[in-house]
Amino acid sequence: MSLLRVQGLFKAFGAIRAVDDVSFEVRPGEIYGLLGPNGAGKTTTISMISGLLKSDAGEVFVVGEPFWNDPQRAKRIMGVVPQELAIYEELTGRENLEFWGRMAGLSSAEAKSRAAELLSALTLTDRAKDAVKTYSGGMKRRINLGCALLHRPQLLLLDEPTVGIDPQARLNILEFIRGLCASGTAILYTTHYLEEAETLCQRIGIIDHGRLLAEGTLSELQERLGGDRVFVLEADFKDASPDAWNGFHQRFRVIQKSERQLVVAAIGQRDPSECLKDLLNLPIRVENVMLKRPSLNDVFLQLTGRDLRE
Amino acid sequence: MLRILLAKDLRRAWRNPLPWLINLALPLCITALIGLVFGGTSDSGALGRIRFAVVDEDKTVLSDFLRGAANQREGGKYLEPVLLDREEAMRQILDDKLSAAVIIPTNFMRNYLTGRAPVSLELIKNPAESIHPAVLEELLGAVVTAMNAVARNFQSEFPDWQAVIEGHGDYHEVSRLIDRAGDKLKAARKYVNPPLVMYDKDTDSDHAAGDAPKTGEMKSGPAKPGASKSGPSFNIFGYLLVGMAAMFLLFLAGNGMADLYRELRLHTFERYHTLQQRLLPFVAGKVAFAVVMLLLCSAVMLGGGGLIFRIHWQQPLALAALAIGYACFAAGLFAFLVAVMPDERRAAVLNNIAGMLLGLAGGCAFPPDQLPAFMRQHLTPLLPSYWFVNTARNLQAGVAGVAWGPVTLELIGLGVVLTGLAVFLFHRRFKTGLRA
Repeated sequence: MSLLRVQGLFKAFGAIRAVDDVSFEVRPGEIYGLLGPNGAGKTTTISMISGLLKSDAGEVFVVGEPFWNDPQRAKRIMGVVPQELAIYEELTGRENLEFWGRMAGLSSAEAKSRAAELLSALTLTDRAKDAVKTYSGGMKRRINLGCALLHRPQLLLLDEPTVGIDPQARLNILEFIRGLCASGTAILYTTHYLEEAETLCQRIGIIDHGRLLAEGTLSELQERLGGDRVFVLEADFKDASPDAWNGFHQRFRVIQKSERQLVVAAIGQRDPSECLKDLLNLPIRVENVMLKRPSLNDVFLQLTGRDLRE
Repeated sequence: MLRILLAKDLRRAWRNPLPWLINLALPLCITALIGLVFGGTSDSGALGRIRFAVVDEDKTVLSDFLRGAANQREGGKYLEPVLLDREEAMRQILDDKLSAAVIIPTNFMRNYLTGRAPVSLELIKNPAESIHPAVLEELLGAVVTAMNAVARNFQSEFPDWQAVIEGHGDYHEVSRLIDRAGDKLKAARKYVNPPLVMYDKDTDSDHAAGDAPKTGEMKSGPAKPGASKSGPSFNIFGYLLVGMAAMFLLFLAGNGMADLYRELRLHTFERYHTLQQRLLPFVAGKVAFAVVMLLLCSAVMLGGGGLIFRIHWQQPLALAALAIGYACFAAGLFAFLVAVMPDERRAAVLNNIAGMLLGLAGGCAFPPDQLPAFMRQHLTPLLPSYWFVNTARNLQAGVAGVAWGPVTLELIGLGVVLTGLAVFLFHRRFKTGLRA
């Protein structure tokens, strides 16, 4: 049974549909990535799942039970790591962890021992007695993450937990999250970093303008583009139109076209060398052809017509 | 839960104490400044001597008598009259060297003795001062009343007295006049001393002595010799400090409860809401934190201020209870205002205005008697700041039977109601999507 199931979630702010009919589920021991650009509706979705916002329509089920039937029970199962740092800068790392542990319902002794455990796991024991305001961005992010883990939640909601930190600190956090997943925690992970979704998440949902456009494993999403490879052609495509090329659309699917670049995927199971020959025979002077595995960005590009990195 | 939340907030305040220290120092500085302006430096802690000018434009025996009487016996302890001409008196008032100038006008004696016009003395007050000129005004009022009383009883003798004063009478005539006046005074003595009608404002010390008349009762009949025991002496610092403390406690409460905005901005309030806890403990914890801080500040302002300004608090326990009630009210009020006003910057302005209005209209900054009549009669009595200040000042003045207990309970009750409303409003805001 899934730990979290979201069914037809909808939320509008005036005329803006922030989240529009979003459905997905997160299973135990799984990292589900919600990938989308800023303003796609990721944080609003997490806010509704964690009970900070009430949805206009749809339902959130936690361990099979609707969230609003017993919010307190659902919240006990969850741990929420907000996108913004939600910690007290005047307090030390240890004090922050102990405080949020007590708030999560732990006894004083439990909160103390769990805080020590987490400080060690987050490699912050050396700085445990320093005020958080003296920490680096990465350390603050780690404490922010730790504050949601005191009560050992079965379901962890992570809202872009690596925003604004250096690559090394990001790697540390991702490693820690993998460890949590290995211990059986179900994780909903929102991000706009393609690499994070590709390397961390078992299943990915692509969200844009409040709508979940596609979901599946990385290979399932790649499959949507017609296999595990795409061709990138570089040439002067200013006056060229693939529609005019004889039978082109029967053999290739255009993923993106710009003045200098054409990204296409072969339709059906075709030999790459045959596809390459086919492309070089196009009635245009091709300067360069590149064969690569399709990325999530290519999937996003195909789904939205926009580059996620834009 | 409350203890954990309180400990967390106290720790944070301890590590960033500057805003609290500034708010603590301000009322003490302002009280010292105002107190020094009003001459509160005397060792007794009392009002100090009032320096004023006497401008004698009549230059007659009667005006000489009035001039001289001002610094005789008891008057000399409190009054410091200086004889000046009008221009010099005005100049010294403008230089803030005098509290007021009393002008004895030309023909003052002639008008008085002939009964052509009612007794009239001119008082020019120093606009930079309020207490000393007001005291002088009261004194002059008493002098004029007394002179009018004399005029009513001796009107028939006045032409003869005027002739004597102007040098027209002989010694026999003077002797005869004195005899007549003596007979009249002898006949009136039993009405004059002890007075037939007197006003007695009761104090707690009277109660202690077993005498318990009603407050401010008009009593008929001779005053009892033992009943003239005086109440606590007036200390201007005590009067001012209570008001200043009440006003600044409102600002401190605003500062304390603004921490809710910081919690919203830091998203810690939001994080708390993702846990299984309910909203009430969080808001109540913040109110408890503000109350604790306000009580610490009250102790510093009233206790420390008392030591600095040599104020002897008449009923410290009652005052402490009142301070607890007032702290509850102030914290509850600002919790409510934070819940009502989502925008932090706007709220900062509005909270200051709210604190200022409550303070001024509640008579914290200056005596409520000087407020506009409508406000004094209809608005001020409804304000909790007035309940606190008025009760505390009455306690300090030694007024008997001050109902500080019910006032304390009312203030606490109001604080609880306002906190409850704040929780309700926050609950609604979270439902609709609270964002800092």
